[in-house]
Amino acid sequence: MLQFVDVIKTYPNGVQALRGVNLKIADGEFVAIIGLSGAGKSTLLRAINKMIPITSGKVEIDGIDVSTIKGRRLRMLRRSIGMIFQSFNLVKRMSVFNNVLMGRVAFHSAFLTLFGVFPKEDKLLALQSLDTMGILDKAFIRADQLSGGQQQRVALARALTQKPKLILADEPVASLDPITTVQVMDDFARINRDFGITIVANMHHVDLALKYATRIIGIREGTVVFDGLSSEINDQILVDIYGRSLKHDEVLGE
Amino acid sequence: MNKIALPNGKFVVKPFNKMWIVLPILVGLVVLFWQFIRMDPAFQPENIKLDQLKIILVKLFTPKGNRTWEDYFKFMLKLENPLIATLKMCFAGTIIGSLLAIPFAILSSKNIVKYPPIYWGFRTLLNLFRTIPMVVLAIIAVLFIGTGLLAGIIAITLFTFGVMSKMLYEVIETVDMNPYEALESTGANRVTAFRFAVVPQIMPIFISYLLYVFEINIRASAILAYVGAEGLGVAIKDNTLYNYDRVGATIMVLLVLVLIIQTFSGWVRRRLQ
Amino acid sequence: MIEFLRRLFKIKPQPKSVLTPEKVLKRKPKRWIMNLLFTIAMMAAVAYSFNKATYNEIRLRTFDISFQTMIRQLGMINWDFFFGREPWEFVDGIVFMTIQTLAIAFLGTLLGAILALPFGFLASKNIVGKHVAVFGDFLLTVIRVFPEIILAIILVKGFGMNAFAGLLTIGLHSIGMLGKLFSETIDAMDKSPLEALDAVGATTFDKIRYGIIPQVLPDLTSVALYRLDINVRSASVLGIIGAGGLGTTLLLAGDNWGWDTIGAIMIAIIVMVVTVDIVSSYLRNKLI
Repeated sequence: MLQFVDVIKTYPNGVQALRGVNLKIADGEFVAIIGLSGAGKSTLLRAINKMIPITSGKVEIDGIDVSTIKGRRLRMLRRSIGMIFQSFNLVKRMSVFNNVLMGRVAFHSAFLTLFGVFPKEDKLLALQSLDTMGILDKAFIRADQLSGGQQQRVALARALTQKPKLILADEPVASLDPITTVQVMDDFARINRDFGITIVANMHHVDLALKYATRIIGIREGTVVFDGLSSEINDQILVDIYGRSLKHDEVLGE
Repeated sequence: MNKIALPNGKFVVKPFNKMWIVLPILVGLVVLFWQFIRMDPAFQPENIKLDQLKIILVKLFTPKGNRTWEDYFKFMLKLENPLIATLKMCFAGTIIGSLLAIPFAILSSKNIVKYPPIYWGFRTLLNLFRTIPMVVLAIIAVLFIGTGLLAGIIAITLFTFGVMSKMLYEVIETVDMNPYEALESTGANRVTAFRFAVVPQIMPIFISYLLYVFEINIRASAILAYVGAEGLGVAIKDNTLYNYDRVGATIMVLLVLVLIIQTFSGWVRRRLQ
Repeated sequence: MIEFLRRLFKIKPQPKSVLTPEKVLKRKPKRWIMNLLFTIAMMAAVAYSFNKATYNEIRLRTFDISFQTMIRQLGMINWDFFFGREPWEFVDGIVFMTIQTLAIAFLGTLLGAILALPFGFLASKNIVGKHVAVFGDFLLTVIRVFPEIILAIILVKGFGMNAFAGLLTIGLHSIGMLGKLFSETIDAMDKSPLEALDAVGATTFDKIRYGIIPQVLPDLTSVALYRLDINVRSASVLGIIGAGGLGTTLLLAGDNWGWDTIGAIMIAIIVMVVTVDIVSSYLRNKLI
């Protein structure tokens, strides 16, 4: 279970990204975070695995206070959380297989992994993740040879290889075209359903969020202004979150 | 003076041309600096004749006196040992110097070390170190361990280190840091994240720089013979007074060597892209 | 028929291959073997380079003493040598030699820049067309690859052991890089003014003078200033083969280089190079 208690984040330049956020996310949920850009979505997401340290408050995962741990224990926590990025963040010059294998790097002591030596189970696990994502045949192709949608699947396979309880996705489909967007979102839904992995995703497109997520969290100026089922969302709530009616680029439109 | 009047009474003002400042300074510098060339006791302008150069070139690239062309080329074959010495010095120096440069380049990169005093400190040190010429490094090495091949290796190592560290940190700063973030998000420590997210990106560039510095070293290392290291330069230095033809033959060998390495490294670099 | 051939060559019908992670794992390319062999070969070559690497054993054994001497003497700069006072002459002193080095580098770069202009035009597709440009480019590559030291040795032989030989070396060698960068600048510039000049009936010379020079001059100056940086470094060592400048002091200090003289020379080189570096990058920033 993931829990935010009075989380405040102030950046060194004085910007208050989070102003007292309280949240509880249960295991197996598919949560979409929506809001304007700059509302604090990205900070909220990155506070979960402490990619961004918070100023005050508590972020708890299964009873562990993320905000206080560091070093080895922080890395242990991070390896149990998958993360997906808007720009895929693959090592473009490496093969797809090696990129996926990166999900296992934190499970071993540094020495052998530095030379690129991984146990056979790990390699198999990496390939199984690729198989799950349906791109097993691309295993030994360089990552930059793939299309955007395929690259995001490689990133998903990398996250799966970590055997995570939770996957954080920061605008996972924002740089994809509409068709691949739907495919990748289907993948997220499948992972959530088949493996019971909790998914917390920042979404730019509101209609996608409503379609795939079971729960919506609306953020405005660093505070949670809506938290509920996607079926409860109506136009008034969207105006509360966005402070205006939606722009056409914020819906995918189908 | 800067006003240009038109026949209809209107006028335009011509802006001051900066050339009128730059040009006198330039001419002044030329005149001033020329005095320092002329004051050189060994320089007598009246003795300089262009045909002198022609004579020298003929002397360099034809056999001397009663020697034959066969002798000329046979001497080239005798250069085997100095040639190997040059290659040894440059190879070991380039490899070791480049490897030494890696940690310093990392410590000088803004995107890896996020603490300004550290990277500025290292940069300043490296910049100062880089100003010391290879020859001076060789002299210092000779002071410590005496003349010989080892002093040459050390000089080239240190020179390579200086050049390489700067080129490397500039490359490291241009890499895509997104994969690094992704690796950190999987729980990898900074060393591992660097190894898997940054190294693959800089590796091809590193190798092409390695070849480039090797080229520079081969070309520059001839001078090291003058301060007590080994290599082809020795054959030039030893024959420089009387055996012009041998100097010429050595020059030819060095040129061929440079050409071969240039071609090879060009081929590898094209394949790396 | 196919069935018959299969039986003839005992080829079993291929089962429709289904990719499984296990199968793919076996297909994994074994890159690491090549990498390992390459690394071992490299390390062996480095080790071989040290094999029979000659050095002075006694000097190495007294390394600690050398080090102590260095620390002790590095601060004791020989000021007589620095300013060229008795027993030295002013023209042998470091101050004079430093300025002479600057003179060699500056005049050499200027000479190189002037000579590089025609070469730059010769290697520029915009001016002379594709075929001539290939030839010009080749010529510049030859100049660039030709080792500076060899050029210096030849010129010192031709013009004597003096700063003028150094100036010529720097000038001629600079043509290679400057010419190449010049031609790139010329190729990258805006071509429309040339068309306009054509339209008013300008000659080739007019086009270069009024259409090209004003456009590329700031860039060319910036390139030349960058080259000045490099040339100051080379000018400070070419003296060791007799081409004037600070390198000469290394010879004058004799074969028994002491820290008092080395220290003085090093300070001069560092201060000079850093100063030129700062001035040249300041001017280059102003040009842009």
